[in-house]
Amino acid sequence: MPKFIFLFLFITTTLAAQTKMSTIEANALKEKVKTYASTINTISSDFTQYKHLDFLANDIVTSGKMAFKTPNMVKWEYSKPFKYSVVFKNQSLYINDNGNKNTIDIGSSEQFKQLNKLIINSVKGDMFDTNEFSIDYYKKDKNSEVHFSPRDEKFKTFIKVFHITFNPKGDVIEVKMIEPSDDYTTIVFNNRTINTPLADEIFAN
Amino acid sequence: MRYLLISFCFLCVGCASYPKKNKFEKKETSDTFLRNTYFSDKAQDYVYKASINIYKRHFGGILIIKKINDANHRVVFTTEMGNKIFDFSFIDNDFTVNHILEDFNKKILISILKKDFRTLIKENMKLTNTYSYHEHLVFETEIDKKKHYYYQTDNKISKIARVSNGKEKVVFTFSEINDTIANLITIEHKGIKFKISLKSI
Repeated sequence: MPKFIFLFLFITTTLAAQTKMSTIEANALKEKVKTYASTINTISSDFTQYKHLDFLANDIVTSGKMAFKTPNMVKWEYSKPFKYSVVFKNQSLYINDNGNKNTIDIGSSEQFKQLNKLIINSVKGDMFDTNEFSIDYYKKDKNSEVHFSPRDEKFKTFIKVFHITFNPKGDVIEVKMIEPSDDYTTIVFNNRTINTPLADEIFAN
Repeated sequence: MRYLLISFCFLCVGCASYPKKNKFEKKETSDTFLRNTYFSDKAQDYVYKASINIYKRHFGGILIIKKINDANHRVVFTTEMGNKIFDFSFIDNDFTVNHILEDFNKKILISILKKDFRTLIKENMKLTNTYSYHEHLVFETEIDKKKHYYYQTDNKISKIARVSNGKEKVVFTFSEINDTIANLITIEHKGIKFKISLKSI
């Protein structure tokens, strides 16, 4: 019997680690993140990506560096376990797959434009657009976790919900993208620095 | 008449069987089955960085193959950033598309991929003939009514050729093999400019 009580206490405390925010708390967080995001000119960060597929024994782990510069340049550079980088810049997508270079014109594709905007907004954390997402706010220990569920029917077929975790400063520390099948991709940021000058050459690919 | 005979002879050379063309030597053996173990371990997640060249286009991604159960494999392809492009199930002789991005949802592409992956994951094949060729043993079998030749070198499968009218249509190569895992795999279609290169990660 005591074992059961321990287990019960353990479960309730684990659940309690994530609680829904009050409207006041949620608004305060939103303001904090938006204000913080508006001061961001550059971001450079290490990242580790975990791809979870329910049928696999282990997540697929890849890692590298991410760089962002206003208004709309983003580079994702994977270095482990393979070299691959993708740059979003000037309405184009520049891919360098271990030396194999490829450019995709985004200008013509509404879907890619959306994707570009989404990537930028998610690395900054500012996705608080209630026309596009239904949004739920949670407290998680010292951090906050916000769930953004796309409203667009087509978008929903790719991603069911984004979970973005913010540290107390309002900076993004983790982005989790959950697919309709419940498989997900989690990106954890490390060594994130804001507004260190980044040369445009970094965004050449 | 003479020309007709000559051209007839050419025609015959043209349609000679694959073993004949390549001067395989027929071998008598008691083996009746051939086993491909590259994707046979249920405990293993088979994860490959994939490079695909189709005509002049190149694109990459991650190919994941998992044996869920006997005669049950899952084959999933994602972008490097984790977005799922397609998700197939091969259960016994059935094939199911669990998910495919709209841009890739083309009958002909799915049919090519289905055949290629089926060859890749098929574990037990009934032998129809056995040959020797240089340092290789070559096993002949049929998958989906198409002749396939498995080249074995040092007890390991190093190549599979899908053959039609005596010609190689699709060639699978396996290299950097340790234990039961082929770390490098290529799938090359001879008639169309389509090549998949896989490197285990």
